[in-house]
Parts: sequence; C-alpha cells; structure tokens
Amino acid sequence: MRIYFLIAVVCGMLLASASPVSAHHAFAAEFDANKPIKLQGAVTKVEWINPHAWIHIDVKKPDGKIEKWMIEGGTPNTLFRRGFSKTSLLPGTIIVVEGYQSKDGSLRANGRDLTFPDGRKLFMGSSGTGAPRDGRDPTEPKQ
Amino acid sequence: MSYRFPTFAMGWALAAVMTLTGPVYGQTPKPVAKTKGAGQQQAVALTPWGKPDLRGIWDFATITPMERPSELAGKEVLSEQEATEFERQTLERRNPDRRDGGAEADVGRAYNQFWWDYGTKVIASKRTSLVIDPPNGKAPPLTPNGKKRAEARAEIMRRPAAGPEDRNLAERCILGFNAGPPMAPGAYNNNVQLFQTPDSVIILNEMVNDARFVPLDGRPHLPPNIRQWRGDSRGHWEGNTLVVDTTNFRDETNFRGASRNLHVIERFTRADSETLLYEFTIDDPATWTAPWKAAFPMRRTAGPIYEYACHEGNYGMFNILAGARAQDKEGR
Repeated sequence: MRIYFLIAVVCGMLLASASPVSAHHAFAAEFDANKPIKLQGAVTKVEWINPHAWIHIDVKKPDGKIEKWMIEGGTPNTLFRRGFSKTSLLPGTIIVVEGYQSKDGSLRANGRDLTFPDGRKLFMGSSGTGAPRDGRDPTEPKQ
Repeated sequence: MSYRFPTFAMGWALAAVMTLTGPVYGQTPKPVAKTKGAGQQQAVALTPWGKPDLRGIWDFATITPMERPSELAGKEVLSEQEATEFERQTLERRNPDRRDGGAEADVGRAYNQFWWDYGTKVIASKRTSLVIDPPNGKAPPLTPNGKKRAEARAEIMRRPAAGPEDRNLAERCILGFNAGPPMAPGAYNNNVQLFQTPDSVIILNEMVNDARFVPLDGRPHLPPNIRQWRGDSRGHWEGNTLVVDTTNFRDETNFRGASRNLHVIERFTRADSETLLYEFTIDDPATWTAPWKAAFPMRRTAGPIYEYACHEGNYGMFNILAGARAQDKEGR
C-alpha cells in the first residue's frame, strides 16, 4: 500500500515537471536527427559565440566544387572543457565532423564530434555524447 | 487582498530551523533584529541603516513544480522517502546519456545539456507545489477571457513559426523565463543578486542580466499608458519584509498567461543567515478567477553572477524559421 502510494506520488510529480522548456530552442526545431552526416573540410573561421559556437569549413566535393558548411558546437565554455583551445581550429586545419544536418537541408549542421588529422577526437558538446547508441562513443555503456 | 503570511512564515521558519546544523548566528558580528513569525523568533543581519540585510547572491533552483499535480490532490508534503525517490527519478529522466528513446529523443535530450541547471532537490519543506494558495496547490481556474487567450497562444505554438514574433520572448532574448517578476525556478540561471540602499533595491537576475530598479521612496507607479516588459516596481518595508509591488506590464510579457493588467506583489524575508524566503501573489482578474500565491526559499550562494550572453549572432532564430519553412513545404 505504502509502496503504491509512493509510486503514484513520484509519477505524479514527474508528469507535472515534464512540461517542456520551450524557452531555449529545441534540437528538433533546427536539425534533423534522422539526417546524420559526415564531412571533411578545412576550417575557414570559428565564431566563439553563445549559446552555440559555429565552425565554418570548406568541404571539397568529388567534382572539385567547394561547399561552405557551418557546424554548430556547444558554448565556447563547453568546448574549452571538452578539450578545445584557441589554437585547436586555426584556419586551414583539416577536420572530419560527424553530426546532423539542418532540417531545411541547408549547409548547416549540429556537430556531434570532430576528428583531427592525427586521429584525436573531441566531442563538440552540442548533441554528443548523448548521440544515438552507435558504438562510436567509448563512454557508451554496453548493452 | 488578504495575506496569509504568518501561517506561511511559520512553515518555512520551522523547515529552516530543522535544517540548521550548527550555531549560525554566533558567526556574524553584524547587528541583528528579531523577526516574529507566529511564535518563531529568528535573528537576521541588519544593514548599517537598520533594515534587514537582503544583500547578496541567492539561488532559487529547485525541482519542485509550480503547481501540484492532479495525482497528488490532497498530498501537500512528501515524506523523506518520497522526496528522495522523486529526486532520483527526476535526475534519471534528465540524464543526457540515456539512449532509449530513438534518435530524435536521445539527441534532443542531450542537445543543450550543458545549459541545464535545474537543481537536484525539492524545496526544504518538501511541499508538492510552490503554489501555497489556493490550498490545493494549483493556480485558480482561468476566466473565459484567460482561456481564450491561452488557446490563441497554444495555436501559435502548434504551427511552424511564421516569424520571430511567434516564438517566445525568452528565445528572442527579450525576457528570461525565470527572472520575472515574479521569479520562478526554471531550467538554468536560477540566481539573483540583491543590492540595497536606504531608498532603493536592485534585483539583478542572472537570466538575461535583467536588473530591476525598485524605488522605496514612496513615489507612485508610472502612468497607466507607460507599459514595460518587466512592469514597473515600487517597494516598501512591512516590518522585516520587503514588499515589491509591480504593475504596468505589456501584453507580451504574459507570465503564465497573465494579461497586461497583472499585479504582482513579491515579499522578501530573511529567515536565517543562509535563507531568504520569497513569496509572490498574482492578481489578474482578467485571467484567473481569484488571486493566487506561491512561495519558495532562496539559498545564499557564493556566486558570482555570470554574464548571460543569450544569443550572439542569433543563428538559432534563423535556423528555427528556416526549419519552419521546411515544415511548411512538407505540408506538416
């Protein structure tokens, strides 16, 4: 009896506090979790701004054309704590980015993680490490 | 309007006394005053000019909901065990490393997780709502006019945004979602710094760096034709309680559906060296069928208050609207 009441209490409280935080924009308003992408390109510029930093890269297509992509990361503070520094992304640095493309199909994406030519990998604090279970994240609990 | 402050103060004073772990008052050489709260005696520090000292940085994060869930009708306070279980489940539900909801839910939960700072605890009294009046812990029913406006807003939120005006004021960095008035615990930046002089108080919220100037010199409110995003605040002392009275809101401010004629009365009372009791009354006959009241404790925190750089460049709004146009094309 007591246990049942406890469960009822907790469920009730959880429902009540589950109201969406609409004040900070949601991932799904901008990006499509079902459009994962992988891009390799050269950094042209980084905007260290809030609430999300933006990394600009030039991506060379197989036909030689250049596409100008913008990749969203976490806050500058978050990126710093994840291991990025002022010199991590100097113009010309070649990076591989995995993330999720914008909903409207434009050349913008939410960055999950980023790999440097020497193999070093950093999470971008934007949607990673909470990305879908895919085995790429070494901290991912095994099922 | 009638106040039930003594009853409320007694509850909080009791909770505060129960959580004290050591001789707190002996640590401060500041002058103190005794506050009388229905039989309880508390000592609070005074300013050099003899008023209760509210200065400092206060943290009002809590996971206790504003309104009591219907499932808990009649259940005013959680037991120790219930509170612990509620806290554990809330943290698990918000865990950004959960991978059990499919791509959209998993990524959506993790997105922005570095911003979230809801707190991890229910309020010290373990009440099941921040609303204390009506006694059922819920805001009173909406008036027909209040209902009509709520439905109009819901309709706007349902459809893809036609323009920035369709998105809420917090996303547009015009107002914070927890800075008020009245203040209400939210997802992050639940900190406020109070500055105090003999004739004014400044309420500086970490959220959107909102600084509210509250004159205490008895001047009247602004004329009714002047409307402000955060209204127009005037303060005075009632015993050891700072009372802040705010009117002259804009339509868009819209606290939980309130109209421009919203009248907010906030009460700040020091309970002990670590606790500031905050209570607010909402009076808006155009929206609710009766006034209502909520209360929660704020805890002293070391700070500092950080700059809140809301949207630099505002790519977010651009992308949200581009996403909305993509939805239009798909006919959703």
